Order: sequence, then structure tokens, then C-alpha cells
Amino acid sequence: MNGLSLTLRAAPALRLDLRGLLPQPLLALDDAALAALPVLMGLAAVPLAELFTFERFDADQPTLRLVGDLSRADHVGRGLAEGCVEVDGNVGDHAGTAMTGGTLRIAGDAGLLAGCQLAGGRLEVRGSVGDHAASGLPGSMDGMRGGLFIVHGNAGRRLADRMRRGTLLVLGATADFAASRLVAGTVVLAGRVGAHPGYGLRRGSLLLLDGPAEPPPTWVPAGADAPVAWQLLARDLARLAADIGPPAAALAELPRRRVRRHLGDLAVDGRGELIQPV
Amino acid sequence: MSGAGSGGAALLRNGVLVDDGFAEAFPMKATRLVITAHNLTWARHAAAATTGFATSVIACGCEAGVEAELTPEQTPDGRPGVSVLIMSMSGKELAKQIERRVGQCVLTCPTTAVYAGLPLADGEAVPLGKNLRFFGDGWQTSKVIGGTRYWRVPVMDGEFVAQETTPLVKAVGGGNLLLMCTDTDAALAVAEAAVAAMRGVPGVIMPFPGGVVRSGSKVGSKYPALGASTNDAFCPTLAGLARNSEITPDVQCVMEIVIDGLTEAAVGQAMTEGMRAALALGAAGGLRRIAAGNYGGKLGPFHFHLHRLLPASPEGAGA
Repeated sequence: MNGLSLTLRAAPALRLDLRGLLPQPLLALDDAALAALPVLMGLAAVPLAELFTFERFDADQPTLRLVGDLSRADHVGRGLAEGCVEVDGNVGDHAGTAMTGGTLRIAGDAGLLAGCQLAGGRLEVRGSVGDHAASGLPGSMDGMRGGLFIVHGNAGRRLADRMRRGTLLVLGATADFAASRLVAGTVVLAGRVGAHPGYGLRRGSLLLLDGPAEPPPTWVPAGADAPVAWQLLARDLARLAADIGPPAAALAELPRRRVRRHLGDLAVDGRGELIQPV
Repeated sequence: MSGAGSGGAALLRNGVLVDDGFAEAFPMKATRLVITAHNLTWARHAAAATTGFATSVIACGCEAGVEAELTPEQTPDGRPGVSVLIMSMSGKELAKQIERRVGQCVLTCPTTAVYAGLPLADGEAVPLGKNLRFFGDGWQTSKVIGGTRYWRVPVMDGEFVAQETTPLVKAVGGGNLLLMCTDTDAALAVAEAAVAAMRGVPGVIMPFPGGVVRSGSKVGSKYPALGASTNDAFCPTLAGLARNSEITPDVQCVMEIVIDGLTEAAVGQAMTEGMRAALALGAAGGLRRIAAGNYGGKLGPFHFHLHRLLPASPEGAGA
């Protein structure tokens, strides 16, 4: 069988650290080894079977399914390289950190630092994410550096701080300093945005569907349209919208919409673009 | 190149003899580029320039041609476009030709953009916009969209957008038909009809002017410095002079169509469609014989036997 389901027995007394609970390594274990697998709760290692019941099932690809309220479980899907991790509720901090491949789907909310240094694969959060999503780990120069990160709900402050590569899509509202110090990549914010979007943005594209009427003062209007690049981006987002479904309906219309562009942030490198449909 | 048959009997179709011979083709490296522009006119300009002076690898470095015109629905950026095929004998030479031709003929052409026309996973990736981006003098930016990297180079009409790389794939070059006709008018009409039919086949180009070559060549020359020389066996002016002449008294003009394709099947299908169109004109249209050029089977691994490729029921043709 290619799937494994872990169901949380009860809300943990302390925070759980679920790094290492990935489809391939877990599926390779027999039931006894799986039950004895140490999982960090607080500072103590606890056998997995004390925290979760488990059940195997058939799946198209190596799949790990996590069931229960994992709001106090951190590092879910950390370092995922292949296969699929599905969570049917909320998760704690650092969900999907440093993923390089595969798919992580979270049905609920994610805490702080979700998708930090995401480098590949697809991370999809159906709820909201906390501060510093898609940004870098403490001490790191770069944030998200590849892959696809979709947030159906809202996002906290400093979203995509120092993000360098990849595509980030937030369908809900975004708090202050979204895409701050962006190095490159594509950030699409479909809902309302907080103060200072694109603060210190160096390169990359920031697409605001419901952004401020006027961009920050350190941005200048682009002298010419970029219709080819816009169509490539808009058509790709429309394909993505078809994959996501009704919540992303606004993206499906993008190829037919005209846009205005501003270039900036001139306080720094100034080679980024802020795109807004008109 | 010779046009000798394999010794079997020629078939008669619609009054036209079809040799029991084969066209001999050889492996090449190829890529497909999609060039788009603000309108089809400018896409055509870019494609024509890009595929110019690319009739034969003998002296052009590559063989190239327009494969098809594309509707906005068929292109990555929703604009009209043209797909071109560029082929060469080695991947290294082809990479050089792509960079030069795209740099001088697409980058320069108003409103154009250029993309790989084949999936990147199909072959070794070589630079498309990867090095041309430096024309941007530091103002260029890259954009990864849907997993594909594009370069955006500021130019005077806005931006030149180019996909970073294009894959090189194995291809087949040198499929051919020799159309032996009563006179120049007939030969041109038959050749034009055949080329028009062949252009409907995906994955092939006919790289010579108008798809037709009148200077068919053989390997070697009496002059040691030359690797190829006129195909004297098919020159009407040498009938009665050249010992190996294939020209009969009723033939005054011979045209050759050379076909390069992405696959052996595509080249074969193009030859079938070409023969179908030519045989439809038949003897009444001035076509007397269809032959094919080969090197006795010693040069290329791809042999396109005319009788095997003959259309089952050529339009308007009778035995």
C-alpha cells in the first residue's frame, strides 16, 4: 500500500515537532518500527504510536495523511521532496519549510513561517497563514526560492520577505509589508493588501488585484507596456485558476484584462514591477 | 547523388513512371522555434529572415524553413505566430546557428518574441534567450512562469521576450523527390503543387527557395576542393553527353524537392503527399517520371522507397 494515515489521538500537551514524518521514509517502515518511531514533543522523544493511530491505504503516489487538530504540530512536511502530504486540519509553525518537491495540502490554517525557504513542489493552504510565510529562516539571506505556494485565506505580515524565486498566490487579504525586500519571483495578491506592499522590492513581479489606488512613492509608472510577459503570466495564472477552482475565479479573467505597471522600488535596485489590472 | 533505381520495374501511374528507387536520408539535429509578433506580418518577417540563407548544410551551416503559421490560440502568448524548424549536422553547429539567427533576425524584428516549439524534456537544451539576454546591458530580467524561464530584454519598442532554452532533437534530413518533366512550365507547376501538399504535413520543411532546388548535386567533383557538384545524370543539357544520363528525349526540365523532418515518418508522409499531388497532374500536366536521389545506400540509414510511399489512390491518377 502506498498511503499512510496518521490520526492524532488527543491534543498534545506540548508542541510537536513533526520534521521527518514524510511519506517515503514512513512507508518503508513496518508497523512495529512505525509505532516506535520517536517524535519530539517538547524536548522529549515520544513513540509515534503514543501520539497517533495509523492505518495504511491505497494511493496513486506515496501519500501521508495527517488527521486531527495539529495546530500545535510544527514542521509539518518540512523538507518534503516527493510524494504527497495531506492534512485535514490546522497545522503549527514552519509548515512546508524547505520543501524541494512533492505536494503538501493543508485543509486548515498554518502558523508562522509557512513555506519558509520553499524551494520546489506545491504547498497549498486552504485556510490562512501567519506572519513571515514564504520568507527566510532566521539568519538566511533568501526566502522562498522555488515552487508554488497557494494560500486560499489570508496572510500575515512580511509575506514573502526576501523571496527569490517561485510563485506565491494569496487569494485572501494580506497584512503589512507584503513582498518586502523581494529579490525575485512572482507574488500574486488577490485580496486587499496592508500598508507598504513591495517595500524595498528589488526585482520580481508583484501583482495586486485589489491593491492601493496609488503605489508607494518610490515606484514610478512604467514607460511602456509589457504585453507579452503579461500574457505569459496571466495565461499561466488562468490555468492555475482552473486547477484551483471557484475561489480563484478572479484569476481566470486576467488574460482579458488590461494592466498598468509601476517599476521599483527605486529605494533599492528598482528592477521590480508592480502590476495592477485597470 | 545518383538517382538509380534498385533494379526493379518502374510503376506507371497516371502516365508517369515511378522509379523502383529510394531517397537516402541521414540523421540531423533539429529544433522547432515559435516566433510570435503583434500581427502575422511581422512574425512572417522574422521567420523569413531567420530561415534565410539556410538551404543546405553544405555551405549555410544549417537547413531551415517555415513549418507552419500559427493562430493566437496555438502560441504561448496569444499572438499570431510562425513555427520554424532549424536543422544541422551537429548539435554544436545548430546551437551556434540558433543563437546567431535569433539574435540577428528575431531580436531585431519589431514586436517579436520567441519560444521553444518542442517540450524541453525532449532533448538537450541549448541557449535560446540565455545568452541574448546580455544585449540588455544589465537591464534584462528573467521570469519563471509555469516552470519555464523567460528573459525580458528592454528594446526600443518595449520588451523582447525569449524563452531561455530550446531542446535539440534527432531529425532526418535529405528526403527527396526528383520530378522529371517535359518543360520548365510543367516542372514548376508540378513542383509547386507537390510543395504545397507537403507543407500540410507537420514536422517537415522544404529548405530550398520555394521548396524546390534546380541544382541537385552529387557527392564529389572532378575538382578536389569541392565536396559536391552538379547532378549530371539529371541535367537535360547533358543528355547524350554524360555517360550516366537519366534523361530521356521527352524530359527537358528536372526539379528536386528536398525534405527535412523531425521524424522518419514525417518525411515519408511528406513524400507521399508530394507524389500524390504530382501524380494528380500526371502525364497530362507534363510530368514524365518520378525518381529519388540516393548514394547507393552507403551514406544514410534512412531509405524512403518510392513504391512503398506511393499513395494508394492518387487523386485523378490511373495506372
